[in-house]
Amino acid sequence: MLEVSQLAHGFDRQPALWEIPNLQWQGHSLVHLRGDNGSGKTTLLRLLAGLETPRQGTIRWTLTGAMPAASPPCPGRVLYLHQQPYLFDTSVAGNLRYVARWHGWRGNLAHDRVAAMLERCGLAAHAAQRARSLSGGERMRLALARAWLLSPRVLLLDEPTASLDRQAIADVSTLISSLHETGCAIVLSAHQPSVLTERCDEYWCLEQRCLQVSAFKQAVAV
Amino acid sequence: MHELMNTAREALHLLVSLDPALWEIIGVSFRVSLTAILVALPPSLLIALLLARVAFPGRWFAISLVNTFMAVPTVVVGLVLFMLLSRSGPLGELRLLFTQRAMILGQILLAMPVLTAMLHSTLQSIDQRAWETARQLGAGWWQSLWVLIREARFGVIAAVLAAFGRIIAEVGSAVMIGGNIEHFTRTITTAIALETLKGEFAQGLALGLVLLLLALVLNVLLGVMRGRGHQTVSV
Repeated sequence: MLEVSQLAHGFDRQPALWEIPNLQWQGHSLVHLRGDNGSGKTTLLRLLAGLETPRQGTIRWTLTGAMPAASPPCPGRVLYLHQQPYLFDTSVAGNLRYVARWHGWRGNLAHDRVAAMLERCGLAAHAAQRARSLSGGERMRLALARAWLLSPRVLLLDEPTASLDRQAIADVSTLISSLHETGCAIVLSAHQPSVLTERCDEYWCLEQRCLQVSAFKQAVAV
Repeated sequence: MHELMNTAREALHLLVSLDPALWEIIGVSFRVSLTAILVALPPSLLIALLLARVAFPGRWFAISLVNTFMAVPTVVVGLVLFMLLSRSGPLGELRLLFTQRAMILGQILLAMPVLTAMLHSTLQSIDQRAWETARQLGAGWWQSLWVLIREARFGVIAAVLAAFGRIIAEVGSAVMIGGNIEHFTRTITTAIALETLKGEFAQGLALGLVLLLLALVLNVLLGVMRGRGHQTVSV
Protein backbone atom coordinates (compact mmCIF):
# COMPACT_ATOMS: atom_id res chain seq x y z
CA MET A 1 0.00 0.00 0.00
CA LEU A 2 1.15 3.54 -0.80
CA GLU A 3 0.47 6.37 1.60
CA VAL A 4 1.34 9.89 0.58
CA SER A 5 0.89 12.77 2.96
CA GLN A 6 1.31 16.52 2.46
CA LEU A 7 3.55 15.96 -0.54
CA ALA A 8 4.85 18.96 -2.48
CA HIS A 9 7.81 19.29 -4.78
CA GLY A 10 9.35 21.86 -7.07
CA PHE A 11 12.73 22.80 -8.45
CA ASP A 12 15.11 25.32 -6.93
CA ARG A 13 13.10 28.21 -5.50
CA GLN A 14 10.21 27.91 -7.90
CA PRO A 15 6.69 27.30 -6.57
CA ALA A 16 5.68 23.67 -6.06
CA LEU A 17 4.69 21.82 -9.22
CA TRP A 18 1.76 20.33 -7.34
CA GLU A 19 0.59 19.54 -3.84
CA ILE A 20 -0.85 16.20 -2.80
CA PRO A 21 -2.35 16.50 0.68
CA ASN A 22 -3.32 12.87 0.89
CA LEU A 23 -3.16 9.79 -1.34
CA GLN A 24 -3.78 6.19 -0.44
CA TRP A 25 -3.36 3.50 -3.04
CA GLN A 26 -3.77 -0.20 -2.44
CA GLY A 27 -1.16 -0.98 -5.05
CA HIS A 28 -3.01 -3.59 -7.11
CA SER A 29 -4.35 -1.69 -10.09
CA LEU A 30 -3.09 -0.54 -13.47
CA VAL A 31 -3.02 3.23 -13.19
CA HIS A 32 -2.84 5.78 -15.98
CA LEU A 33 -1.13 8.98 -14.80
CA ARG A 34 -2.18 11.90 -16.98
CA GLY A 35 -1.19 15.52 -17.12
CA ASP A 36 0.02 18.22 -19.48
CA ASN A 37 3.65 18.71 -20.43
CA GLY A 38 5.50 20.08 -17.44
CA SER A 39 2.74 19.14 -15.01
CA GLY A 40 5.21 17.02 -13.04
CA LYS A 41 4.31 13.45 -13.99
CA THR A 42 7.93 12.31 -14.23
CA THR A 43 8.79 14.10 -11.01
CA LEU A 44 5.95 12.36 -9.18
CA LEU A 45 7.03 8.94 -10.48
CA ARG A 46 10.66 9.59 -9.51
CA LEU A 47 9.58 10.68 -6.04
CA LEU A 48 7.49 7.55 -5.63
CA ALA A 49 10.51 5.47 -6.69
CA GLY A 50 12.70 7.26 -4.17
CA LEU A 51 14.96 8.75 -6.83
CA GLU A 52 14.23 12.27 -5.60
CA THR A 53 13.72 13.64 -2.13
CA PRO A 54 10.49 15.62 -1.76
CA ARG A 55 10.62 19.25 -0.74
CA GLN A 56 7.93 18.49 1.78
CA GLY A 57 5.73 15.60 2.89
CA THR A 58 6.15 11.85 3.16
CA ILE A 59 5.84 8.81 0.93
CA ARG A 60 5.43 5.44 2.56
CA TRP A 61 5.26 2.08 0.86
CA THR A 62 3.98 -0.92 2.79
CA LEU A 63 4.51 -3.89 0.54
CA THR A 64 4.39 -7.61 1.04
CA GLY A 65 5.58 -10.49 -1.09
CA ALA A 66 7.96 -10.46 -4.07
CA MET A 67 11.54 -9.43 -3.34
CA PRO A 68 13.05 -9.42 0.13
CA ALA A 69 13.23 -6.00 1.69
CA ALA A 70 16.34 -4.01 0.91
CA SER A 71 17.53 -0.50 1.58
CA PRO A 72 15.01 2.30 0.89
CA PRO A 73 13.13 2.72 -1.33
CA CYS A 74 12.97 -1.05 -1.68
CA PRO A 75 14.88 -1.65 -4.91
CA GLY A 76 13.38 -4.57 -6.74
CA ARG A 77 9.98 -4.02 -5.21
CA VAL A 78 9.18 -0.53 -6.50
CA LEU A 79 10.89 -0.01 -9.82
CA TYR A 80 10.96 3.06 -12.04
CA LEU A 81 11.64 2.83 -15.76
CA HIS A 82 12.89 5.92 -17.58
CA GLN A 83 11.07 7.10 -20.68
CA GLN A 84 14.20 6.16 -22.61
CA PRO A 85 15.41 3.15 -20.63
CA TYR A 86 19.13 3.00 -19.98
CA LEU A 87 20.57 -0.20 -21.39
CA PHE A 88 24.00 -1.28 -20.25
CA ASP A 89 26.63 -1.41 -22.97
CA THR A 90 26.66 -5.16 -23.35
CA SER A 91 24.54 -7.82 -25.02
CA VAL A 92 20.79 -8.24 -24.51
CA ALA A 93 21.36 -11.31 -22.33
CA GLY A 94 24.24 -9.49 -20.61
CA ASN A 95 21.80 -6.84 -19.40
CA LEU A 96 19.76 -9.52 -17.65
CA ARG A 97 22.88 -11.29 -16.37
CA TYR A 98 23.86 -8.08 -14.57
CA VAL A 99 20.64 -8.27 -12.57
CA ALA A 100 21.15 -11.98 -11.90
CA ARG A 101 24.66 -11.31 -10.59
CA TRP A 102 23.54 -8.47 -8.32
CA HIS A 103 21.02 -10.79 -6.72
CA GLY A 104 23.46 -13.62 -6.24
CA TRP A 105 21.97 -16.00 -8.80
CA ARG A 106 24.71 -18.21 -10.18
CA GLY A 107 25.23 -21.00 -12.70
CA ASN A 108 22.18 -22.82 -14.01
CA LEU A 109 19.77 -20.81 -11.91
CA ALA A 110 20.92 -17.53 -13.47
CA HIS A 111 21.09 -19.06 -16.95
CA ASP A 112 17.61 -20.55 -16.75
CA ARG A 113 15.98 -17.40 -15.39
CA VAL A 114 17.62 -15.19 -17.97
CA ALA A 115 16.74 -17.56 -20.83
CA ALA A 116 13.13 -17.88 -19.66
CA MET A 117 12.72 -14.11 -19.38
CA LEU A 118 14.19 -13.50 -22.82
CA GLU A 119 11.78 -16.07 -24.23
CA ARG A 120 8.83 -14.55 -22.40
CA CYS A 121 9.61 -11.06 -23.69
CA GLY A 122 10.25 -12.20 -27.25
CA LEU A 123 13.93 -11.37 -27.13
CA ALA A 124 15.47 -14.85 -27.25
CA ALA A 125 16.53 -14.41 -30.87
CA HIS A 126 18.39 -11.21 -29.90
CA ALA A 127 20.17 -12.64 -26.82
CA ALA A 128 23.68 -12.17 -28.19
CA GLN A 129 22.94 -8.87 -29.96
CA ARG A 130 24.30 -5.62 -28.58
CA ALA A 131 21.52 -4.11 -26.45
CA ARG A 132 21.99 -0.62 -27.85
CA SER A 133 21.42 -1.80 -31.40
CA LEU A 134 17.83 -2.78 -30.61
CA SER A 135 14.85 -0.83 -31.94
CA GLY A 136 12.81 1.44 -29.62
CA GLY A 137 10.17 -1.18 -28.92
CA GLU A 138 12.74 -3.91 -28.31
CA ARG A 139 14.64 -1.62 -25.95
CA MET A 140 11.53 -1.06 -23.88
CA ARG A 141 10.83 -4.80 -23.88
CA LEU A 142 14.37 -5.46 -22.67
CA ALA A 143 13.97 -2.88 -19.90
CA LEU A 144 10.70 -4.56 -18.90
CA ALA A 145 12.37 -7.98 -18.99
CA ARG A 146 15.15 -6.72 -16.74
CA ALA A 147 12.60 -5.37 -14.28
CA TRP A 148 10.38 -8.45 -14.51
CA LEU A 149 13.31 -10.63 -13.55
CA LEU A 150 13.00 -9.11 -10.07
CA SER A 151 9.26 -9.80 -9.77
CA PRO A 152 8.61 -6.19 -8.78
CA ARG A 153 5.63 -5.42 -6.60
CA VAL A 154 5.10 -2.01 -8.25
CA LEU A 155 6.35 -0.72 -11.58
CA LEU A 156 6.42 2.99 -12.37
CA LEU A 157 6.61 3.54 -16.12
CA ASP A 158 7.40 6.93 -17.59
CA GLU A 159 5.75 7.22 -21.02
CA PRO A 160 6.54 3.61 -21.96
CA THR A 161 4.98 3.84 -25.41
CA ALA A 162 6.07 7.33 -26.38
CA SER A 163 7.68 7.54 -29.82
CA LEU A 164 6.98 3.89 -30.65
CA ASP A 165 5.26 2.71 -33.82
CA ARG A 166 1.89 0.96 -33.70
CA GLN A 167 3.27 -2.59 -33.67
CA ALA A 168 5.81 -1.75 -30.97
CA ILE A 169 3.08 -0.12 -28.85
CA ALA A 170 0.98 -3.28 -29.18
CA ASP A 171 3.93 -5.53 -28.18
CA VAL A 172 4.93 -3.39 -25.21
CA SER A 173 1.30 -3.06 -24.10
CA THR A 174 0.84 -6.83 -24.18
CA LEU A 175 3.97 -7.28 -22.11
CA ILE A 176 2.91 -4.68 -19.54
CA SER A 177 -0.53 -6.29 -19.27
CA SER A 178 1.08 -9.71 -18.75
CA LEU A 179 3.31 -8.28 -16.06
CA HIS A 180 0.27 -6.71 -14.37
CA GLU A 181 -1.51 -10.06 -14.45
CA THR A 182 1.30 -11.59 -12.39
CA GLY A 183 0.32 -9.28 -9.53
CA CYS A 184 2.54 -6.33 -10.26
CA ALA A 185 0.78 -2.99 -9.75
CA ILE A 186 1.64 -0.47 -12.44
CA VAL A 187 1.50 3.30 -12.68
CA LEU A 188 2.19 4.53 -16.19
CA SER A 189 2.28 8.05 -17.47
CA ALA A 190 1.07 8.68 -20.99
CA HIS A 191 -0.01 11.71 -22.96
CA GLN A 192 -2.16 10.07 -25.53
CA PRO A 193 -4.87 7.43 -25.05
CA SER A 194 -3.66 4.10 -26.39
CA VAL A 195 -4.36 0.38 -26.30
CA LEU A 196 -2.52 0.37 -23.02
CA THR A 197 -4.32 3.25 -21.30
CA GLU A 198 -7.65 1.69 -22.29
CA ARG A 199 -6.72 -1.32 -20.17
CA CYS A 200 -6.15 0.83 -17.07
CA ASP A 201 -8.62 0.53 -14.24
CA GLU A 202 -7.71 3.70 -12.37
CA TYR A 203 -6.45 7.06 -13.37
CA TRP A 204 -4.58 9.84 -11.70
CA CYS A 205 -4.67 13.26 -13.25
CA LEU A 206 -2.27 16.06 -12.47
CA GLU A 207 -4.28 19.18 -13.12
CA GLN A 208 -4.16 22.68 -11.67
CA ARG A 209 -1.34 21.63 -9.34
CA CYS A 210 -3.46 18.87 -7.76
CA LEU A 211 -3.71 15.13 -8.21
CA GLN A 212 -7.20 13.84 -8.95
CA VAL A 213 -7.82 10.14 -8.54
CA SER A 214 -10.71 8.30 -10.17
CA ALA A 215 -11.75 4.88 -11.33
CA PHE A 216 -10.87 4.84 -15.02
CA LYS A 217 -14.23 3.77 -16.47
CA GLN A 218 -16.05 6.31 -14.34
CA ALA A 219 -13.77 9.02 -15.65
CA VAL A 220 -14.42 7.94 -19.22
CA ALA A 221 -18.15 8.09 -18.57
CA VAL A 222 -17.80 11.67 -17.29
CA MET B 1 73.89 12.22 -45.85
CA HIS B 2 76.03 9.13 -46.19
CA GLU B 3 76.84 9.22 -42.45
CA LEU B 4 73.16 9.60 -41.62
CA MET B 5 72.32 6.52 -43.70
CA ASN B 6 75.06 4.55 -41.99
CA THR B 7 73.78 5.59 -38.55
CA ALA B 8 70.23 4.61 -39.49
CA ARG B 9 71.46 1.22 -40.77
CA GLU B 10 73.41 0.66 -37.58
CA ALA B 11 70.38 1.66 -35.48
CA LEU B 12 68.17 -0.83 -37.30
CA HIS B 13 70.81 -3.52 -36.86
CA LEU B 14 70.87 -2.88 -33.09
CA LEU B 15 67.09 -3.26 -32.95
CA VAL B 16 66.84 -6.34 -35.15
CA SER B 17 69.83 -8.11 -33.59
CA LEU B 18 68.19 -7.73 -30.16
CA ASP B 19 71.23 -5.90 -28.77
CA PRO B 20 71.18 -6.72 -25.00
CA ALA B 21 72.21 -3.21 -23.88
CA LEU B 22 69.51 -1.61 -26.00
CA TRP B 23 66.75 -3.97 -24.90
CA GLU B 24 67.79 -3.62 -21.25
CA ILE B 25 67.17 0.15 -21.51
CA ILE B 26 63.81 -0.47 -23.19
CA GLY B 27 62.96 -2.96 -20.40
CA VAL B 28 63.75 -0.43 -17.65
CA SER B 29 61.62 2.21 -19.39
CA PHE B 30 58.60 -0.05 -19.71
CA ARG B 31 58.96 -1.47 -16.18
CA VAL B 32 59.11 1.99 -14.60
CA SER B 33 56.31 3.51 -16.67
CA LEU B 34 53.95 0.53 -16.40
CA THR B 35 54.42 0.40 -12.62
CA ALA B 36 53.77 4.15 -12.38
CA ILE B 37 50.55 3.82 -14.40
CA LEU B 38 49.33 0.88 -12.32
CA VAL B 39 49.95 2.76 -9.07
CA ALA B 40 48.51 6.06 -10.37
CA LEU B 41 45.31 4.59 -11.83
CA PRO B 42 43.25 3.74 -8.69
CA PRO B 43 43.69 7.11 -6.90
CA SER B 44 43.16 8.99 -10.18
CA LEU B 45 39.96 7.03 -10.76
CA LEU B 46 38.68 7.86 -7.28
CA ILE B 47 39.51 11.56 -7.60
CA ALA B 48 37.91 11.66 -11.06
CA LEU B 49 34.77 9.98 -9.73
CA LEU B 50 34.61 12.45 -6.88
CA LEU B 51 34.98 15.40 -9.24
CA ALA B 52 32.51 14.01 -11.75
CA ARG B 53 29.77 12.76 -9.46
CA VAL B 54 29.90 14.54 -6.12
CA ALA B 55 28.94 18.20 -5.73
CA PHE B 56 31.09 19.90 -3.09
CA PRO B 57 32.23 23.48 -2.48
CA GLY B 58 35.30 24.36 -4.52
CA ARG B 59 34.83 21.54 -7.04
CA TRP B 60 35.46 23.87 -10.00
CA PHE B 61 38.70 24.98 -8.33
CA ALA B 62 39.80 21.36 -7.82
CA ILE B 63 39.09 20.66 -11.52
CA SER B 64 41.12 23.75 -12.51
CA LEU B 65 43.94 22.56 -10.28
CA VAL B 66 44.03 19.14 -11.95
CA ASN B 67 44.06 20.79 -15.38
CA THR B 68 46.89 23.09 -14.26
CA PHE B 69 49.00 20.17 -13.05
CA MET B 70 48.70 18.63 -16.51
CA ALA B 71 50.82 21.48 -17.82
CA VAL B 72 53.55 21.26 -15.17
CA PRO B 73 56.93 20.79 -16.93
CA THR B 74 58.58 17.46 -16.18
CA VAL B 75 61.78 19.18 -15.03
CA VAL B 76 59.80 21.03 -12.35
CA VAL B 77 58.50 17.69 -11.03
CA GLY B 78 62.10 16.42 -11.17
CA LEU B 79 63.38 19.48 -9.32
CA VAL B 80 60.77 19.25 -6.53
CA LEU B 81 61.36 15.53 -6.07
CA PHE B 82 65.14 16.05 -6.15
CA MET B 83 64.87 18.58 -3.32
CA LEU B 84 62.60 16.27 -1.34
CA LEU B 85 64.64 13.10 -1.88
CA SER B 86 68.20 14.45 -1.70
CA ARG B 87 70.22 13.68 1.42
CA SER B 88 69.49 17.08 2.96
CA GLY B 89 65.80 16.98 1.95
CA PRO B 90 62.89 16.02 4.21
CA LEU B 91 62.65 12.54 2.62
CA GLY B 92 66.41 12.01 2.31
CA GLU B 93 66.38 9.24 4.90
CA LEU B 94 64.42 7.06 2.49
CA ARG B 95 67.48 6.96 0.17
CA LEU B 96 65.32 6.92 -2.91
CA LEU B 97 67.22 9.37 -5.06
CA PHE B 98 68.73 7.82 -8.22
CA THR B 99 66.62 4.68 -7.91
CA GLN B 100 63.86 3.26 -10.08
CA ARG B 101 61.44 3.87 -7.21
CA ALA B 102 62.17 7.59 -7.36
CA MET B 103 61.58 7.53 -11.10
CA ILE B 104 58.29 5.70 -10.57
CA LEU B 105 57.31 8.35 -8.02
CA GLY B 106 58.09 11.11 -10.51
CA GLN B 107 56.11 9.40 -13.26
CA ILE B 108 53.16 8.85 -10.92
CA LEU B 109 53.07 12.59 -10.28
CA LEU B 110 53.19 13.24 -14.01
CA ALA B 111 50.60 10.62 -14.90
CA MET B 112 47.99 11.43 -12.25
CA PRO B 113 46.83 14.82 -13.61
CA VAL B 114 46.51 13.40 -17.14
CA LEU B 115 44.64 10.33 -15.89
CA THR B 116 42.41 12.34 -13.55
CA ALA B 117 41.49 14.99 -16.13
CA MET B 118 40.69 12.45 -18.85
CA LEU B 119 38.84 10.09 -16.50
CA HIS B 120 36.87 13.03 -15.07
CA SER B 121 35.77 14.03 -18.55
CA THR B 122 34.84 10.43 -19.40
CA LEU B 123 32.93 9.75 -16.19
CA GLN B 124 31.11 13.05 -16.40
CA SER B 125 29.76 12.10 -19.80
CA ILE B 126 28.26 8.86 -18.50
CA ASP B 127 24.49 9.12 -18.37
CA GLN B 128 23.05 9.70 -14.89
CA ARG B 129 20.50 6.98 -15.72
CA ALA B 130 23.28 4.36 -15.63
CA TRP B 131 23.72 4.84 -11.88
CA GLU B 132 19.98 5.11 -11.22
CA THR B 133 19.20 2.02 -13.27
CA ALA B 134 21.85 -0.07 -11.55
CA ARG B 135 20.70 1.04 -8.09
CA GLN B 136 17.05 0.48 -9.00
CA LEU B 137 17.79 -3.02 -10.19
CA GLY B 138 19.41 -3.91 -6.89
CA ALA B 139 23.12 -3.23 -7.44
CA GLY B 140 25.02 -2.21 -4.32
CA TRP B 141 27.06 1.00 -4.17
CA TRP B 142 30.31 -0.65 -5.27
CA GLN B 143 28.55 -2.72 -7.91
CA SER B 144 26.98 0.46 -9.33
CA LEU B 145 30.39 2.12 -9.30
CA TRP B 146 31.83 -0.81 -11.22
CA VAL B 147 29.00 -0.48 -13.75
CA LEU B 148 29.90 3.18 -14.28
CA ILE B 149 33.55 2.32 -14.84
CA ARG B 150 32.62 -0.50 -17.18
CA GLU B 151 30.33 1.78 -19.17
CA ALA B 152 33.24 4.23 -19.43
CA ARG B 153 35.80 1.52 -20.27
CA PHE B 154 36.89 2.89 -23.63
CA GLY B 155 37.50 6.30 -22.08
CA VAL B 156 39.42 4.68 -19.22
CA ILE B 157 41.66 2.77 -21.63
CA ALA B 158 42.20 5.95 -23.69
CA ALA B 159 43.23 7.82 -20.52
CA VAL B 160 45.70 5.07 -19.59
CA LEU B 161 47.22 5.06 -23.07
CA ALA B 162 47.56 8.87 -23.14
CA ALA B 163 49.16 8.97 -19.67
CA PHE B 164 51.51 6.11 -20.55
CA GLY B 165 52.54 7.94 -23.71
CA ARG B 166 53.34 11.06 -21.69
CA ILE B 167 55.43 9.41 -18.98
CA ILE B 168 57.44 6.99 -21.08
CA ALA B 169 58.53 9.86 -23.32
CA GLU B 170 59.45 12.30 -20.54
CA VAL B 171 63.11 13.03 -19.87
CA GLY B 172 63.27 15.90 -17.36
CA SER B 173 62.15 14.06 -14.24
CA ALA B 174 63.81 10.76 -15.23
CA VAL B 175 67.27 12.26 -15.68
CA MET B 176 67.09 14.44 -12.55
CA ILE B 177 65.91 11.85 -10.05
CA GLY B 178 67.00 8.70 -11.86
CA GLY B 179 70.50 9.85 -12.65
CA ASN B 180 70.76 7.85 -15.90
CA ILE B 181 72.74 5.05 -14.21
CA GLU B 182 73.67 2.24 -16.60
CA HIS B 183 71.90 -1.10 -16.01
CA PHE B 184 69.74 0.56 -13.34
CA THR B 185 68.00 3.84 -14.11
CA ARG B 186 68.90 4.40 -17.73
CA THR B 187 65.71 4.76 -19.76
CA ILE B 188 65.01 5.29 -23.45
CA THR B 189 64.86 9.08 -23.17
CA THR B 190 67.83 9.53 -20.82
CA ALA B 191 69.92 7.18 -22.96
CA ILE B 192 69.05 9.14 -26.11
CA ALA B 193 70.21 12.35 -24.40
CA LEU B 194 73.43 10.71 -23.17
CA GLU B 195 74.34 8.97 -26.43
CA THR B 196 73.75 12.15 -28.42
CA LEU B 197 76.05 14.11 -26.11
CA LYS B 198 78.70 11.44 -26.57
CA GLY B 199 78.36 11.75 -30.33
CA GLU B 200 77.18 8.12 -30.67
CA PHE B 201 74.00 8.44 -32.59
CA ALA B 202 73.16 4.83 -33.54
CA GLN B 203 71.83 3.68 -30.16
CA GLY B 204 70.04 7.01 -29.65
CA LEU B 205 68.43 6.69 -33.07
CA ALA B 206 67.43 3.07 -32.40
CA LEU B 207 65.81 4.08 -29.13
CA GLY B 208 64.16 7.04 -30.84
CA LEU B 209 62.67 4.60 -33.37
CA VAL B 210 61.28 2.54 -30.49
CA LEU B 211 59.64 5.66 -29.06
CA LEU B 212 58.26 6.60 -32.47
CA LEU B 213 56.90 3.11 -32.95
CA LEU B 214 55.37 3.23 -29.48
CA ALA B 215 53.80 6.62 -30.23
CA LEU B 216 52.33 5.18 -33.42
CA VAL B 217 50.91 2.13 -31.63
CA LEU B 218 49.48 4.28 -28.81
CA ASN B 219 47.89 6.70 -31.26
CA VAL B 220 46.33 3.92 -33.30
CA LEU B 221 44.98 2.35 -30.10
CA LEU B 222 43.72 5.76 -28.90
CA GLY B 223 41.97 6.29 -32.21
CA VAL B 224 40.32 2.89 -31.97
CA MET B 225 39.25 3.56 -28.37
CA ARG B 226 37.89 7.01 -29.21
CA GLY B 227 35.98 5.53 -32.11
CA ARG B 228 34.47 2.83 -29.94
CA GLY B 229 33.74 5.35 -27.19
CA HIS B 230 31.89 7.66 -29.58
CA GLN B 231 30.04 4.70 -31.00
CA THR B 232 28.96 3.83 -27.46
CA VAL B 233 27.82 7.36 -26.67
CA SER B 234 26.00 7.97 -29.91
CA VAL B 235 23.98 4.76 -29.97
